[in-house]
Amino acid sequence: MSEVDTKTVESKIVEIVANQRRTDPAKLSLSDRLEDIEIESIDLVEIIFAIEDEFDIDVPQDRDAMKLDTLQDVVDGVQRLINEKNAA
Amino acid sequence: MHRVAITGLGCISALGHDANSHWRSAVEGISGIGPITAIPPEKLKIHVAAEVKGFDAEKHFEPVKLAVIDPYSQYALVAAREAIADSGLTFDHGLHDDTAVIIGTGIGGAKTINEDSERIFGQGKIRTPPMSIPKLMPSAAASQVTMEYGLNGPAFGVTSACSSANHAIGEAYWMIKSGRARAAVTGGSEACLVFGSMLGWQALRVLSVDTCRPFCIDRKGMVLGEGAGVLVLERLEDAQARGARIYAEIAGMGMTSDAGSLTDPSAEGAARAIRQALEEAEIAPGDLHYINAHGTGTGQNDVAETKAIHLALGEAAGHVAVSSTKSMHGHGLGAAGALEAVITARAIADQIAPPTANFTMADPECDLDYVPNAARSMTIDTALSNSFAFGGLNAVLAFRRLH
Repeated sequence: MSEVDTKTVESKIVEIVANQRRTDPAKLSLSDRLEDIEIESIDLVEIIFAIEDEFDIDVPQDRDAMKLDTLQDVVDGVQRLINEKNAA
Repeated sequence: MHRVAITGLGCISALGHDANSHWRSAVEGISGIGPITAIPPEKLKIHVAAEVKGFDAEKHFEPVKLAVIDPYSQYALVAAREAIADSGLTFDHGLHDDTAVIIGTGIGGAKTINEDSERIFGQGKIRTPPMSIPKLMPSAAASQVTMEYGLNGPAFGVTSACSSANHAIGEAYWMIKSGRARAAVTGGSEACLVFGSMLGWQALRVLSVDTCRPFCIDRKGMVLGEGAGVLVLERLEDAQARGARIYAEIAGMGMTSDAGSLTDPSAEGAARAIRQALEEAEIAPGDLHYINAHGTGTGQNDVAETKAIHLALGEAAGHVAVSSTKSMHGHGLGAAGALEAVITARAIADQIAPPTANFTMADPECDLDYVPNAARSMTIDTALSNSFAFGGLNAVLAFRRLH
């Protein structure tokens, strides 16, 4: 994927997370830890649902999906799933 | 006030089509968890459940009747028939007017809802079958049981998600205790392994991808189950007068709400329900022998429940045998408490604690005696059965051996 696409993934994810937290996307940074921006497990479930819908990907049901640390981890994970989907 | 005896048991679950098979499988640690057959696997991301296997509805119901009874009510009726036959009760001499029927369910007629949704939104049709509403209502099972046996006492459905059956049984217990009813047919039923409902559970991300390992470090979540459990309860003096077999007494009931999170359980809310049940049953923490845990196998429940047991029992927590039989019959949602009440009553009658199956290694935050993998012959004079629901609704039953 090109650089532009990565930027799109990043901005979409920030938008989804900001929407879930009812906050301004500009206040979020990719280095933010989910814990620090008060993303609880139920928020993460909602975020994963929005991500799956937005990018038309399936986030694995395995509990590791719920062990993400930072927003960058979320972006990397989504990018990996998009790449896997495109390669398939 | 009257003491309340359990004189009949009925059950259908992934472990078998009768209470004895359900109990024997649980004691032997045989899990009913396996591949989902009711829904094509390519439509799902989760592929395991504890399905009722080989259920031939036509063997139990006339075709005309079958058309108006959702599987959730079918299961309840099958379990009720067994429990009533087991109890030997005939409801004569006016007893039919004094018998309550209280059946819990989390959803009600999930299959009917699913089929109607498919017709309306999938096929674009603008008509549903005419009996949809009376099939899917969450009180349908209670109505069906009253009609089959001509029971004219108080009857209704009870719903509190995963605590539904315990709330139902507790309510029936209190009715008999207080004199409002002389007997009760009570329990819980669920038939929720349908496509729409499975998608909902998948989205919540609490389902295990392989199996249910309550309290273990490598647990991956819960496994959905289904079925029904039904108990016949009656005044102890009536049961003794007619020479009925008494499995155990129900001696206490605790119910509280967390008033906190929709999905995160509170140890304190659960602990208060445990304390209430013990107090009503006049069981000191040190005299409690067995707990059939809620034990869903999710990350959150098992830690919160362990904490709750510590809070409620104090130092005695380390001495009580705690097992989660959901590791075998799965999480039957609105049926769960009833599937577990059948097991708890038999645990007292047979003096055996069933195991927590699939046990690997305990989570360091789960530090109780979980009876791992092998049933234990032991003195069980007193027992609890825990149910803690989404939405913070807690219901705990206390059982006693009759001396």
